[in-house]
Amino acid sequence: MIDAESPDRLDQLLARYFRPEAAPPGLTRRVVTATRESEAGLARLERSLAIQATPRGVSLIRVGRLPKPATATARRLAEQAREEIHEYLRGQRAFFRVPVDLVTMPDFQRRVLEAARQIPFGEARTYAWVAERIGHPRAVRAVGTALGRNPIPLIVPCHRVWRSDGGVGGYLFGTDVKRRLRALERATPVLEGCTTTHIVCRVGCIHGRHMRLENRVIFASVEDARSVGYRPCRVCRPAA
Amino acid sequence: MESDRALMERVARGDQAAFTDLARRYGARLLAVAARLLTSRADAEDAVQRAFLQCYSGAAGYNPRWAVSTWLYRILTNICVDELRRHATRTAYDERAHAGGPALGSANHRPPDAYLDLHRALERIPREARILLALRYVNGLSYGELARIRGISINTVKSQLARGKSLLRVELGEQGAGHD
Repeated sequence: MIDAESPDRLDQLLARYFRPEAAPPGLTRRVVTATRESEAGLARLERSLAIQATPRGVSLIRVGRLPKPATATARRLAEQAREEIHEYLRGQRAFFRVPVDLVTMPDFQRRVLEAARQIPFGEARTYAWVAERIGHPRAVRAVGTALGRNPIPLIVPCHRVWRSDGGVGGYLFGTDVKRRLRALERATPVLEGCTTTHIVCRVGCIHGRHMRLENRVIFASVEDARSVGYRPCRVCRPAA
Repeated sequence: MESDRALMERVARGDQAAFTDLARRYGARLLAVAARLLTSRADAEDAVQRAFLQCYSGAAGYNPRWAVSTWLYRILTNICVDELRRHATRTAYDERAHAGGPALGSANHRPPDAYLDLHRALERIPREARILLALRYVNGLSYGELARIRGISINTVKSQLARGKSLLRVELGEQGAGHD
């Protein structure tokens, strides 16, 4: 049993517990190598994307060319999607605001894609999880097919669905892009606070766009931010 | 020895040798903090690598009014905090998926037995207090540095540390009574 009755003893205990260890051999070399090897790599994908939208929302994202959206509202939504994807691929956005149009889709596929949209940013689920989620636990293969035909990749995050054995599964833009997206989301935080305004936002909120690097702190939850005097943003509503 | 700021200026100009020096100077200290905040050694080292990567790519945005060490701790702490968020949601998912079974990742970090009670108690105190305690005790950072790293006032730092320690005392006391 640990005796932590007196403040001094707790201090000593904490000091011993937190005592720094020697760095493992080769740490510096690994850090330097990892930094050299890191490349954005997703920029090429972004340049090749074409986006189609209806007045209800984004309806198709593909590599190549697509006809221009028919109405002004649809064109505005396609442009919004392009901006959000640009920020997302640069690690500056952890959510999409632009609506998607899944209305004309077959019921099964729509439910699969809706389930994929429930997977939190930066996380992964299995094909079996999606199958269970839509109430067809045995339809794992059909789920894979439906995700493979996802018309709105990136925004509907089918790249967050992996095989149960940890395998990458398939991906419309190739498995290398799927791996890169996982690494990107892992390196992109979700909640950021501004040290001058003491407001906490979702990463990608318009308020955070001009925040200087030195004013940015990351939080693990809105409650954590509240506990040290930050309040949630009223625009992006991170607590919702 | 070259000053930290001079080193950062060279890093901002893309000087690889300066970057290697910086990593050598701060790698172990950053790893010590990350190792105490995150569940596994691999996650901790990954966090340090990402911190240096951000430092390298964002070196041009470094504000010389900041001590380089504080700047690096801010970057590292931001990364660790986001990793803690991910770990919390992942654990919740794993617990739901394997109800009754152990949460994935929980067995990765095994502190020595003498510290097991403290380790468990630390897991139960509020996250922000735990982060401040780690920064304070691993590297002996001042209240001012802690305030800057977490973007809070010095008074909030003090009250969080005091609250964290008082909760730890309660946790450890209760555990002790339970074992006797």
